[in-house]
Amino acid sequence: MSGPVQRVVAVGGGPLAWIAALALNRAFRHRKLDVTVLDTGPGHDAPLGYWTLPSQRGMHDMIGVRESDLLKRTGASFKFGTEHRGWGGGDSRFLHAHAEIGTDIEGMPFYKYLQLAAMAGRPEKPVDFSVAAIAAGLGRFARPKEGSPLTSNFTYAFHLEAAPYVALLRELARAQGVRRVEGALAQVNHTADGNVDALLLADGGRVEGDLFLDCSGAHAAVMKFIEAGEREDWSQWLPCDRQWSALAGPQDNPPPLTRTMASDAGWLWWAPLAQSSMVGHVYSSAHLSDDEALARLKQLAPDLRTEPRLNRFSSGRRQRPWVRNCIALGDAAIELEPLAGAQLHAGQIGIGTLIDLFPLDTCSQVESVEYNRIVGEHADALRDFTMAHYRVNISRMGSFWEATRSEPAPARLANKLDLYRANGRIVLLDHESFEEVDWAWLLLGSGCLPAALEAQIQRLVEKVTPAAVAPLRRHLVELANSMPPHSQYLRHG
Amino acid sequence: MTAAAFAAVFKPGQVDVQLIESSEIGIVGVGEATLPHIRFFNRRIGIDERELMAKTQATFKLGIEFVDWARLGDSYIHPFGVFGGKMAGVPFHNYWLRQGSQGIHTPLEGYSLPIVASREGKFALPSEDMSSILSTFGYAFQFDASLYAKFLRGFAEERGVVRTDGKIVDVQLRGTDGWIEAVKLENGALISGDLFIDCSGFRGLLIEQSLKTGYDEWTKWLPCDRAAAVPCENAGPLTPYTRATAREAGWQWRIPLQHRTGNGYVYSSQFISDDEAATRLMSRLDGKALADPRFLRFTAGRRRKTWNRNCVAIGLSGGFLEPLESTSIHLIQVAITTLIDYLPTNMEFDERIVAGYNRWIEMEYDRVRDFLILHYHATERADSPIWNYCRTMQIPDSLAHKMELFRERAKVITYKDGLFLEPSWIAVYFGQRVVPRAYSPLADVLSEAELDSRLTTVRTQIKDAVAGMPTHEEFLSQYCPAGMPAAPGAGK
Repeated sequence: MSGPVQRVVAVGGGPLAWIAALALNRAFRHRKLDVTVLDTGPGHDAPLGYWTLPSQRGMHDMIGVRESDLLKRTGASFKFGTEHRGWGGGDSRFLHAHAEIGTDIEGMPFYKYLQLAAMAGRPEKPVDFSVAAIAAGLGRFARPKEGSPLTSNFTYAFHLEAAPYVALLRELARAQGVRRVEGALAQVNHTADGNVDALLLADGGRVEGDLFLDCSGAHAAVMKFIEAGEREDWSQWLPCDRQWSALAGPQDNPPPLTRTMASDAGWLWWAPLAQSSMVGHVYSSAHLSDDEALARLKQLAPDLRTEPRLNRFSSGRRQRPWVRNCIALGDAAIELEPLAGAQLHAGQIGIGTLIDLFPLDTCSQVESVEYNRIVGEHADALRDFTMAHYRVNISRMGSFWEATRSEPAPARLANKLDLYRANGRIVLLDHESFEEVDWAWLLLGSGCLPAALEAQIQRLVEKVTPAAVAPLRRHLVELANSMPPHSQYLRHG
Repeated sequence: MTAAAFAAVFKPGQVDVQLIESSEIGIVGVGEATLPHIRFFNRRIGIDERELMAKTQATFKLGIEFVDWARLGDSYIHPFGVFGGKMAGVPFHNYWLRQGSQGIHTPLEGYSLPIVASREGKFALPSEDMSSILSTFGYAFQFDASLYAKFLRGFAEERGVVRTDGKIVDVQLRGTDGWIEAVKLENGALISGDLFIDCSGFRGLLIEQSLKTGYDEWTKWLPCDRAAAVPCENAGPLTPYTRATAREAGWQWRIPLQHRTGNGYVYSSQFISDDEAATRLMSRLDGKALADPRFLRFTAGRRRKTWNRNCVAIGLSGGFLEPLESTSIHLIQVAITTLIDYLPTNMEFDERIVAGYNRWIEMEYDRVRDFLILHYHATERADSPIWNYCRTMQIPDSLAHKMELFRERAKVITYKDGLFLEPSWIAVYFGQRVVPRAYSPLADVLSEAELDSRLTTVRTQIKDAVAGMPTHEEFLSQYCPAGMPAAPGAGK
């Protein structure tokens, strides 16, 4: 039986189910969709919190999350970028800011100047040419301001603790007419043609729908009942498969930054919240026991405030996240260590693509083919960017680090890095969330230098000298110092 | 073109360019129609547009008219510009389809400024004011290809390119790795180099005859393999567009220049003889023929590697796609600019750079290929064998998927790089009668009254704007008059 898709059911207990419900409700308000969330509660594998990408701002605008509410109600903090420590061994560190680097030189991106500087052995770094990056180091924050390119060429993201964030989204969803059913999924009911027409709950309840969104996390509560399809396994490149995480004590005037710290068998992370901090240890169980991994986390944060939780995952993705009338979103579709801060983003790519390709009727198939193609390319691009952190930091030794580099990279990443190493050129494919400048932060920050630059670009950037850019650097430091401390934005008490 | 660009972009000493050209070997001196991207190319290498136009008998081009493609009697224009003016949100054609589904039928053409201007023979430069309806289009040129070659040669020589007149009789390869060391001319002179650019045309003197690179044929999708070309006298006002008329065994081009009109019949030798094609062409000219028809042979496809060892094939030596969408010069430009972009300071032609370059060029060719096949395949014509073949042939999966999405729900698959953007696909899909069954549900967001008022506004704005534009000929005569050529036919 075909008919219009009118009833959408999102299944899950984390933010993604609510974001999906709110976004679809909003995009098709003229259709008055009937949107339900089957709230399965915070699952045992739910992340403690998220460090996001700037795309979270756009999603919040769309679904009506006001930033002032977010800060007040959830204790969220701002994020100008991520600081990676020890990835190049020793006390090396580099920043990946959500910002442009400098301003274009006659139409050429400024990072080309830094490539040349680095090749000539000069110490200039991307952080010296971004007001957001400098401010992050000073613990200062301000929103971008229109007017000058220097005060508008950056953006920001958030650090979010899952539980209060979900509470805020749930309330918003209720106000906007999204229905909530609490319960645990026991089984699905199939129609004769193989679609799902209802979710059967453990308590005997039943939730009917035309389209089902599986936002339940890696265990894929809905998808596991339908033909699974192939899964691509990425663990030969990304061996991390566990994470310990917990809340820890706050830091005075915390920087608007996420920090990662390379460890012997993975990496630790720290992210500030208004009244606490989130910490985690992402590691490979083949290289480190759970107990030792937890001990390392406690070393980093002796003041843990919550019982540490252990998540298990396996890097990879579903080849077909959209099967029949069920769509896997977020971790149900793609499992990836949170190094790039793209966990919510990955789910939101799916939501945006679904809105664009919303099925015309319950039997429509053509959309899923295109959806799976686009979302698959996005997922591969996120994987590549994550994996590149390991691939370009080649000086760290030890069995874990050597394992991350032992298999040849997937072709699309190998091509990108090969060309960069030969002539400094960063080429993007069709559906990539990280842009040229993101790659420049990563590659330059990691000290990954090309053998040569593109000849005609070198001609242009050679004309620029350190003396010529010195006033710009001073100006950026002044601008950064004029920003208020990050702590002034945060909810206290 | 390559020599001119290299000479303009690189300094002498950084890259020294030598051009070997044989005056014995004729060039394909037909009218050429271009795409708007040529203006970026010109700007990048510093070519003055008015000077170029005046010296090449050029006219402006706002798009291509396709006649008789889906059905005999059909005409549509693929414009250089967007549909729907500045309407934001969902791609415009969804709103238009929605209105159509409600029984209000207005021609899609009325929502494209360059189409309306083309139909009325008008032209003006686009506005720099991005809020103006006059900023919703671009333009290209139609010029005389031999005059263009001459113009570029002058441009290149002024910038230090050394030109040698001579015919290459031998190519010397290095024993160790098979790289090209030098080429030998008929007079015995040996010219060596680090990088050899093969612009020798279909035969691929270096890339194929010497390096045996291999060629992927696309004849099964693009069966045309011959062309007959002839200039004729102008008749009637100069149209600011190129015309491509589907014929019994291919299609005929018409490119209006200031001093004459270029014509040609692109056909498949499987479906018509050379004589018959020439006769048909000569009987379908606007004005008196100015020469006898000249014949060309080609095979649609792409060289397996357009950069192989230290040889880069640019132009027809790299691949051939028929000029249906005026992509020939564009693909040359892409090859040149990509090569310039990729060349490293150390001028070491690293395998990784070569592979990166080849991937990019392949992508460009493959995407143009799909777009061209669409014109042939999406037809209802059943009046001649070639159209029966094309209508029923198996098309590449990449194109089949694109067409299905459009047919099912008006969704245009777009990409980040590569030539044709959403408006081009929209124009050709609708023009070829690929009619969607449904539109995006997002287009229902406007109320009926609002939809009606917005569409009416766009139509009215376009109509008023075009009414205020000068005719194409008026504009040409004050912008870039070429004057009559000194002696028609001289130099042949």
